[in-house]
Amino acid sequence: MSGSEGLLPPGAGYGTLVGAVADPLLRRRVGRPYWLAFAAGALGTALMLVSMGWLFVEGIGIWGVNTSVVWGFAIANYVWWIGIGNAGTFISAALLLLRQPWRAAINRFAEVMTLFAGAIAGLFPIMHLGRPYRAYWLLPYPNSMELWPQWRSALVWDCAAIATYLLFSLVFWWLGLLPDLATLRDRAPGRAGRLAYGVLALGWRGSARHWHLHDRLYRTLAMLALPLVVSVHSVVGMDFAASLMPGWEESIFPPYFVVGALFSGFGMCVVLAALLRWGLGLQAVITQRHFAVMAKVILAGALVLGLSYLTEWFTAWYSGDADERGHVRFLFGGEYAPLYYVLLACNVLVPQVLWSARARRSIGAVVAVSLLLNLGMWLERVLIIWNVLSHGYLPSMHGVFRPTFWDWALLAGTIGFFLLLFLVFARLLPVIAMHDLGKLLFDRQRAEAHAGEEDEARAGERPGGAGRGARPMGGAPPILAEFRDPLTLIDAAHRAREAGLRGLDAHTPFAVAGLAEALALPTPRVRPAMLAGGLLAAAFVYALCWYSAVLDYPLVLGGRPLHGWQVFLVLTFEAGILGATFTGVAWFLVAAGLPRLNHPVFDARDIGRASQDRFFLAVADPAADEARLAALLDGLGPLSIRRVAP
Amino acid sequence: MTQLFPPVANTLARAALLGAALLLLGGMGLLVTIPFTPHVTRQDVVVEQPVQFSHAHHVGGLGLDCRYCHTGVEQSRFAGLPPTHTCMTCHSQLWTNAAILAPVRESLARDEPLRWVRVHRLPDYVYFDHSIHVAKGVGCSTCHGAVQRMQQVRQVAPLTMGWCLDCHRDPAPNLRPREAIYDMGWTPPADQRARGEALIRAYMIRTEHLTDCSRCHR
Repeated sequence: MSGSEGLLPPGAGYGTLVGAVADPLLRRRVGRPYWLAFAAGALGTALMLVSMGWLFVEGIGIWGVNTSVVWGFAIANYVWWIGIGNAGTFISAALLLLRQPWRAAINRFAEVMTLFAGAIAGLFPIMHLGRPYRAYWLLPYPNSMELWPQWRSALVWDCAAIATYLLFSLVFWWLGLLPDLATLRDRAPGRAGRLAYGVLALGWRGSARHWHLHDRLYRTLAMLALPLVVSVHSVVGMDFAASLMPGWEESIFPPYFVVGALFSGFGMCVVLAALLRWGLGLQAVITQRHFAVMAKVILAGALVLGLSYLTEWFTAWYSGDADERGHVRFLFGGEYAPLYYVLLACNVLVPQVLWSARARRSIGAVVAVSLLLNLGMWLERVLIIWNVLSHGYLPSMHGVFRPTFWDWALLAGTIGFFLLLFLVFARLLPVIAMHDLGKLLFDRQRAEAHAGEEDEARAGERPGGAGRGARPMGGAPPILAEFRDPLTLIDAAHRAREAGLRGLDAHTPFAVAGLAEALALPTPRVRPAMLAGGLLAAAFVYALCWYSAVLDYPLVLGGRPLHGWQVFLVLTFEAGILGATFTGVAWFLVAAGLPRLNHPVFDARDIGRASQDRFFLAVADPAADEARLAALLDGLGPLSIRRVAP
Repeated sequence: MTQLFPPVANTLARAALLGAALLLLGGMGLLVTIPFTPHVTRQDVVVEQPVQFSHAHHVGGLGLDCRYCHTGVEQSRFAGLPPTHTCMTCHSQLWTNAAILAPVRESLARDEPLRWVRVHRLPDYVYFDHSIHVAKGVGCSTCHGAVQRMQQVRQVAPLTMGWCLDCHRDPAPNLRPREAIYDMGWTPPADQRARGEALIRAYMIRTEHLTDCSRCHR
């Protein structure tokens, strides 16, 4: 694998990487461009709030929707936003599982993009309800009407899918952010900053046990994320495909929507990456290569999307159905045909320039393609609604949609709101996962070390031994040995365990691969717990669906059986994911003993650097003292060996 | 480095996390519960009327039939409120100087109806018809309670949709023979289930359509 080539600056150290991300945040004052963008975002937000307020007062009559095109802008914007929101968790989770090193610099802000875009997307269907204050009726809860949601409705699936996705993405993002908050706590120049980040970091101290658990939970969540990401946009596709309209009732819709969402999500990711790189001076960590790989993903997306369009036309022709054929004729020659040509150009033709390596290496070109494809994807979502609804089965119902001022105001307003949220985020939290960068650098360092002394390294890997080597720290204050580099720490950990020392732990800025084995830490049992939690939640929701649809509120729909297990599974799946996620988080907090804002190890000198660029071995064995440990670690060159004293 | 937080911060932080979780769950529980409470249903809330008319006196004491005043109950959706003339059938002769009846006399003199305050309020998207309920064996006291013992009429039933559905899904326990409809003291006999089923057939109630949405939401 080409590894981390071109992703990190050549002479980078752990400290410089942390500094590159944290210092613009903590120390640099923002300039005029930031405040101009902030003002634009605030203005947009105000426009959004005014539009929403007027909507609530007047009703959806202020939009251009009519009895033919009932979905209009609101649902198109919803699909567009949720599509943008799709890529973040995908980038973060799929690239983690695929071991793609270029994930490290872009996953954090992509996750935030997901959160914000997903939250904005969720607003649109609610506004479109007409009685937005009744949106909670979509949730199953014991109510005085003795009614339950209709589990066969795609709207109910949608509500569950988006809510699950948002909650999950929030947890996933938070889990990745937690160690970085500790870094900011230890690096913040002022006391207010240290306290604020300190509370949010929950007392994270980079303990090897915590990292071990964190790493495992994070990977497990990533595995849950993949089917979830696919399910969200499939469900959005089913909003359309489960209807009876020419051009919608096609089985290709769920996968076609998933690809479209990734496509537009990566497009937005490129734009944001370029903005952050320029605005925060992150040229060192967001590099040309990031844009080049994302360009390849975009190119692949454009090809699949082009194929989807071809399939759509082909099926219409091959089906011989007059209405399907009429729909395609309407696409190319109807009211909205010019927009359709723009769509095809933006989504399929323009991205073809990315075949050229020169174009992929030019950040400007990739950003330009991304902006155009986001326009194209917005047009696609708009046209998929306009073209179909304005040209349905009933010729007497044919009619076109013309957006009003408030349609445009709400779209512009939400873009402004997104901008505002993102600017606030970029000012308060690290836009790049610092501990992932550290891990990336460690991978490079280890690869270099291995190249020379592979055999020796293998000999150094001792079997797990008695497995009792590392036990939680007892009452005695630990002795800390400080190292400059994680490979030496692993060696030190091996030696300490060989020597039979008890109460071993380490404090590191990121999850050092191989450290848990060196300390013989037991495998955290978080996965069985998550499985149990997920199954329990899934079983509960399945039982709820069954009870409500079969026993409590039997409603025969078109002669379908009451026990429609196929549709119950949609909700069951989402509940399973949520149950596993929350079980995992609860397990993590309890097992790691967090929050623990005050801990003996925080008394140690320089322990603040354990979240940045130093690696500490902690020995809490009553039998050990500084001299014995120094003798044991002879030759490894620890920077210091000290007993923690309050 | 010194400790950023005192030891008590550990307890505080954990308590805050737990508290937030409990607050969230409790808040959701509260939101679920509130629609069942009288704050929303107005069950058992006594409203002030322009005249302190006592059903206990007129129905329980004197034994007036419901239909003496609520004349529309057998023919129309609305049971009807009596015109002032109905009051005056007796009160032009009885208690003609009673202070409590002053608004009634004034209403007659000015030819302006009394402005009674509605006790049983249904949302405007609910179609409710008294006549069909009375015709199919639902007695007054089933929904309105023991009016003959109320000094001031209050809403006894919650009038939630769930409460309506309880009967629409299973009407048998509440159906009476025609002669017992206006019997304010009616209690279901021991074999009500069997009698109710028989009444469903006798009244020709098509139970399979009782819970159609359009039955009440037209």
